[in-house]
Amino acid sequence: MSYQNPIPDYQLLADRKQEYMKYESSQKLTWCEGCGNFGIQKALERALVLEGITTNNVLMCFDIGCHGNGSDKIAGIGGYTLHGLHGRIISAAAGAALANPRIKVVAEAGDGGTFSEGPGHLIHAVRSNYPMLFILHNNENYGLTTGQASAMTRKGYPMNGSPDGVGAEPINACDFVLGLKPSFVARAFSNDVSHMTDVLRAGLRHNGFAFVEVLQTCPTYNKATPEPWYWDKLRPVDQIKGYDASNLKMAREAAQDMDKEIKVGVLYQDKNSVNFLERLPGRKGIKTALVDEVKAFDIAKLIGPYR
Amino acid sequence: MSRTVLKVAGESGMGLLSVGHIVAKMLRGMGFYVHSDREYPSLIKGGSSNMQIDFGPSPIRCLSKETDLVIALDREGLVEYLDTIKEGGVLVHGFERHHLIKDLQEKAAKRHIHLLYLPAHSIAHELGGGELMVNMVLLGLMWRVLGFQLKPLEEAITEQFAKKPKLLEIDLKCVRAGYEAKGVEIPAYKIPVPKSKPDQILIDGNMGVALGAIKAGVRAYYAYPMSPSSSILTYLANFSHETGMVVKQAEDEITAAQMAVGSMHMGTRALVATSGGGYDLMTETVSMAGMIECPLVVVLCQRPGPATGLPTWTSQGDLQMAIHSAHGEFAKIVLAASDPKSCYELTQQALNLAERFQAPVVPLSEKQVCESQVMVNLEEGEAIAIERGLVTAPKELAALKSADRFRHTENGVSKRWIPGSAPAGYYANSDEHREDGVLTEAADEAKAMMEKRMRKVEAIREALPDSVVFGPKKADISFVGWGSSKGVALDAIEACAEKGIKVNYLHFDYLWPLRDEAFRKFHKANPNIHMLENNFQGQLAELLEGKTGLKFKGRFLKYDGRPFYLEEVVEYAEKNK
Repeated sequence: MSYQNPIPDYQLLADRKQEYMKYESSQKLTWCEGCGNFGIQKALERALVLEGITTNNVLMCFDIGCHGNGSDKIAGIGGYTLHGLHGRIISAAAGAALANPRIKVVAEAGDGGTFSEGPGHLIHAVRSNYPMLFILHNNENYGLTTGQASAMTRKGYPMNGSPDGVGAEPINACDFVLGLKPSFVARAFSNDVSHMTDVLRAGLRHNGFAFVEVLQTCPTYNKATPEPWYWDKLRPVDQIKGYDASNLKMAREAAQDMDKEIKVGVLYQDKNSVNFLERLPGRKGIKTALVDEVKAFDIAKLIGPYR
Repeated sequence: MSRTVLKVAGESGMGLLSVGHIVAKMLRGMGFYVHSDREYPSLIKGGSSNMQIDFGPSPIRCLSKETDLVIALDREGLVEYLDTIKEGGVLVHGFERHHLIKDLQEKAAKRHIHLLYLPAHSIAHELGGGELMVNMVLLGLMWRVLGFQLKPLEEAITEQFAKKPKLLEIDLKCVRAGYEAKGVEIPAYKIPVPKSKPDQILIDGNMGVALGAIKAGVRAYYAYPMSPSSSILTYLANFSHETGMVVKQAEDEITAAQMAVGSMHMGTRALVATSGGGYDLMTETVSMAGMIECPLVVVLCQRPGPATGLPTWTSQGDLQMAIHSAHGEFAKIVLAASDPKSCYELTQQALNLAERFQAPVVPLSEKQVCESQVMVNLEEGEAIAIERGLVTAPKELAALKSADRFRHTENGVSKRWIPGSAPAGYYANSDEHREDGVLTEAADEAKAMMEKRMRKVEAIREALPDSVVFGPKKADISFVGWGSSKGVALDAIEACAEKGIKVNYLHFDYLWPLRDEAFRKFHKANPNIHMLENNFQGQLAELLEGKTGLKFKGRFLKYDGRPFYLEEVVEYAEKNK
């Protein structure tokens, strides 16, 4: 195994135990044994706590799919979650993020919802650079509907509804997004909670649309890439000499390989990213958020020219 | 009640709109009531279009079928519109040689129509304006026919083209040449100019929606362009530097609706507008808003369907679609605007209702309402206060529990608070859920939650205003309608009164949940009752008959993309009184 866990911020996490416990829930988790969702939920909770974001200051938005079945099983004390429609959560989350930038918005969706039902939302969220973190749960299949092929399913593997396997090439999520001139693209592995925590923390800190692909194990339906398949193939980019995460071309090159040496970590970040709201000329100099501004506006000036 | 009807006809792109707008503005400035609309194909250049202006000394709420005056900018305008001109009317044009000119002259002579020709094309070319300024020459001529002063027209043109000084000079020369009307025998055509000027503005329905949204504190507008809703996006975007509103052209209608739900969920006010096809795409989101009890307002600007239909024409064909839209059973509110003022007011009411009842609201509009320019006074009447139904008092916020969010209450409305504003959080879950939003598939919990949500239907019905009677309590013939039917019905009441026919009209602003008390009373008092609807089936008639068992004597339905014209309704009343 060429891959070493980075050392996490144990002490800080211990200091913030009270806040961390609020992310726990009394609801029973319903994921399969060995599901990558456990790790992703854990890493997200830790990342939020380590970034000083309490349950009361985050809106967690979930698509439909196995990951979404955890929507009411997180942030049990003081938390706000939104469990939306299949393929559409990015847009709902974006609307929420624009309304109140003081509340961190995190959206999660699977590979089915994101790359079959709703790629348009992803494309334009990247272009628009809405201030939010998006986590792609890529388990390379439709788990909740019992193992059909997704746009990420590897070519030739028999799946429910595609007994002869899929003839089409899978989409490479990070490469796809990097082609859109994004401001933040990262990749992590669902079973490496510590590394994923760091990646998610970087995503939470990013000013703009942070896209994080999590390669997620699915022991029930994804036989092509089970957990052991990943471990010796992962290569964190921060361990690659001369890797420059501000270099889009280098990131696109790094994102390519999904078979032999899979690059993980923050593949690309524009540290000077300007988010959607900051780009709007009509909002220049306005310090309040849209949630603070709901009041009757005097239209007298606007109708002047129509008199 | 005397009105004059002026039509500017030509191909799209020939400058008929600028002529139309200048004339409408001038007439309004002179103290006339003005009502104008344009008919145009779904093209940017080419294709026959026209702009019609009805004007007169008293309020004008609809368009007429026949015209008094036509400015024909193209050959089609000359040939096609002659038959729409009343006896004694005027048509100005610039075609010396037209293969049909003899026929047209004979036709005009028979009906005493003045066919006025001025070599507008050669005049425009000689003055350096080319084809684009033919409109100015003919405008000048028409202005002369109307018997109005040239100077105010010159001033209006100067204002309109102030940013193009070189062209302005030629524009003015062309207008003067037209007004001089060398060699043209000007018919005696006298229109008395009103002595006072009404304190009203001339706007279209979409501007009414935009201003209503601004007034109601909408802070985010999301839309995908679709006729006839598109100009709401234009208006709000152009106002955004003054309002600070986030105006986002989304990548599709699903996105627009989803972003609105996200923004509303987070606690601000958002708005979406579209037309039928776009609304179809939004319906899953409407259903979601019903489930998570999130306020959502989607303005549905109707045009004739099915499918792409007649994209630039009018219809009231989506009432039942709106009422029954989206899967599952949940409380939904449907309203319908009838003119720019009601667009302004109902947009505000829609946002209040959406927040008070935590439900999706669909204010209907229609091309005829969206784009007709009508004179209104928005400030008249009582201001509509913003009602949000949110928990905001610090003490109350501190005492909230997660289960308050979807608590089973008597009227089905539970407490709602802005995420982050209270120590207690909650889950907004599109899956069936318990009072705190946690998923459940238990039969008793699912049943109880469905009943809680559906209790809102009756609470809303009680809160909505009933339909309203216009005209006398009892009449020879009675109409019932919604949307743009109101304008034509009100004008028909006046026009019929002049003919000694008593007409009254029952109007629905609030359509769903349907209230029928006023209808029952109206029906009882007025047995000769007829539906006036711009659709094939008589959709409101079906709803009312189905709910009350009372029948209409007749249904006056129109589904050719055109609105009801005044003459048609008067004629129908005469026949069926």
